[in-house]
Amino acid sequence: MPSNPAKLRVIWLQGITCNGNTHSFLNDPSLGTLLDSVEFLHHPLLPCTFTLQQLVKKLPKSDILIFEGAYSASFERAGMAMESLLMTLALKTKHIISMGSCASFGGIFKENDPEHISGIVFDKENDSGPLRDMRKKVITLSGCPAHPKWLSFTIDMIRFDKPIAVDEYRRPKELYAYLVHNGCLRNEYFEWKVDSEHFGTKEGCLFYAQGCQGPFTHGSCNKILWNEVSSKTRSGTPCVGCTEPTFPKRELFTTKTYMSIPSEMPIGIPKRSYLALAGAAKSFHIKRLEERLIDDHT
Amino acid sequence: MITHELIERIEGEAVLDFQTDKSGAVQDAAIRFLHFRGMEAILEGRNALDALVITPRVCGICGHSHLIATVKMIEDAYRNAGVAIRISDKATAIRQITLSCELIQNHIKWLYLVMLHESGKMMGEEPTVALKALYVSSQVNQLCALFSGQWPHSSYALPGGVSCDPTHIEVMQALKILSDVERFIEDEVLGCTPEVFEQAMRDNEVLSLSGDFGTVLRNFERLKVLDTGKSHGRFLVLGDKSVAMANGIRNSADFALVSEDDSQTFEHGGKTYAKNALYNGEFYEGGPLARALVQERTGITDLYRTYGDSAIIRLSARVAEMVSLCAQVRQLLTSLDLSQPSFIPPPAIESISAEGIGIIEAPRGSLIHRATIEKGKIVSYSIITPTQWNLGNGTASNLGIAQKAMIGAESIAKASLIFRTFDVCSVCTTH
Ligand code: SF4
Ligand code: SF4
Repeated sequence: MPSNPAKLRVIWLQGITCNGNTHSFLNDPSLGTLLDSVEFLHHPLLPCTFTLQQLVKKLPKSDILIFEGAYSASFERAGMAMESLLMTLALKTKHIISMGSCASFGGIFKENDPEHISGIVFDKENDSGPLRDMRKKVITLSGCPAHPKWLSFTIDMIRFDKPIAVDEYRRPKELYAYLVHNGCLRNEYFEWKVDSEHFGTKEGCLFYAQGCQGPFTHGSCNKILWNEVSSKTRSGTPCVGCTEPTFPKRELFTTKTYMSIPSEMPIGIPKRSYLALAGAAKSFHIKRLEERLIDDHT
Repeated sequence: MITHELIERIEGEAVLDFQTDKSGAVQDAAIRFLHFRGMEAILEGRNALDALVITPRVCGICGHSHLIATVKMIEDAYRNAGVAIRISDKATAIRQITLSCELIQNHIKWLYLVMLHESGKMMGEEPTVALKALYVSSQVNQLCALFSGQWPHSSYALPGGVSCDPTHIEVMQALKILSDVERFIEDEVLGCTPEVFEQAMRDNEVLSLSGDFGTVLRNFERLKVLDTGKSHGRFLVLGDKSVAMANGIRNSADFALVSEDDSQTFEHGGKTYAKNALYNGEFYEGGPLARALVQERTGITDLYRTYGDSAIIRLSARVAEMVSLCAQVRQLLTSLDLSQPSFIPPPAIESISAEGIGIIEAPRGSLIHRATIEKGKIVSYSIITPTQWNLGNGTASNLGIAQKAMIGAESIAKASLIFRTFDVCSVCTTH
């Protein structure tokens, strides 16, 4: 057994936010264990060492700075503009976690003032955020909200000094190499191109008409599940692509098609290959997949 | 003397500007919210269905309420466009179950993270993390997610019904979680059964309840704030059946009398981003207390007769609502007819041009979504959040609800504690 490292000193700072990541984090059923390994110097809802006002006055050093919400230079907390507050705390910390899609790419709130609102490292796909030069110490946990386990994973890796392999947006590969499509209960319908007739059914895939972005959205939603039990696609809702820099796209509940083929392909699948396979799959009628899964309602 | 007090550890932050006399008693209080995100503008020009994804992000703790208000607004627009839209009883019940879950988790968090914590701190206690409360609220959210896929920020309610098609396994899991939650409320929150709690309210004996709720009340009593915090005694519920209550008289409420007043906002030289919400030109209180009183629920109504709209009753009403919502969720779960359709497809949204209004009862009171839709696109969107009713900033002759409740408090600390009994959400207030 490795000896237990000292508690990590963590600051949770919020930019322009809905508090969604805070509440997502509070859903972690092993919160108690996590809290054994961290000391919150500041947190918006949990007991912590410093109030916001004290935090702004002391600007303490920390091991991890968690930033939730979108960045705007002039946005203030306790009278201090993010331009100096975030920058100072970032310089004085060892690791930065970009918590949620707003902090990571700008997210929904960016839409209101695209010129001035961005993520901390990335502004949509571009690395032009205020902390771009510190990107090496940033871990991106995109998602609207981010899953609580994604945060506990990252804190754990930092705590035990383990290297975290990341993708081009600095998202941990162990969490984001998966697609939402992986593990969805509707995979077989996807394979055989059986579309869901409408919402509210157990059958069919939501990729062909309802706008599901699962095949081109990174995230382990369908591997580790939400609230331990479900996910958007498991409850029949199309994935809205909330972990990607493009979130929020428009027309989220319809699939854009070109000549009745979805215009966005599953990641890494050439259109030609997709069409070849789709053509073959569609030429068969699989009775089991065209029937109701459970039809004891008659 | 004027003091600016930054109120933290609510949803977001607020600044209270207090005017105090020599003894430190509060003579005037102004409420300011300093953050603004422009949610309504973000929605304009989008497909109306996109609002089902955007509006939950108004608020991390009551986003589900925003989802349900949005879906009702869109369904209202269908009807106003003369297009029939049907929702099965099953879908209606499932929506009510998930919405109630959001209220229950909200009330638990508020009781432990805010009221127990803050009142304990004022008593000189060192606050600890309320892990048991956070665990049980995560369980309530899990119950919600069995139907909604996730909490927070689900988009599972769509015009025509819900996207999930649950089986008895989900219902069984939900009932099991619900039993755990009910046990928590009995053992930890109340220290007694719901029946004994109800009787304690009727007999004015809530102070002797042994659970954590009793502890909060006793903290309030020792701080001598239990029966302070009186406001106008005007209450409004627009979500279920619309009722306005003033001077003890209940009348059915008329939505046409609802207005927004932005005279105190930065735009007009004021000091806050929050617009006031008014009914018939006056401030009305919304939320669990209003809901209990307009429905004449025993227990709270009895307490109200003794104490008026003071702190003790605002605290009791939120706790009583947790209890009654659990009973309601149980009833809905056990009577769910799974053979009904989850979703009845309506005509395409692109065929709809109309105005729609969606009103629901959210954790803190009536939530109103209103939009104009043109060929399925949002032309304009406006949201009135519950806190705009309770935390409005009025004038000396027309004080806001929480403002009036704070004036007269013996100290700034006590006024701030009273403020928190309203379950402040600055995130929502300044969407
Ligand atoms: S519903 Fe979405 S995630 Fe599920 S199989 Fe279809 S495309 Fe993939
Ligand atoms: S399923 Fe898609 S939209 Fe839902 S949380 Fe996962 S990535 Fe985000």
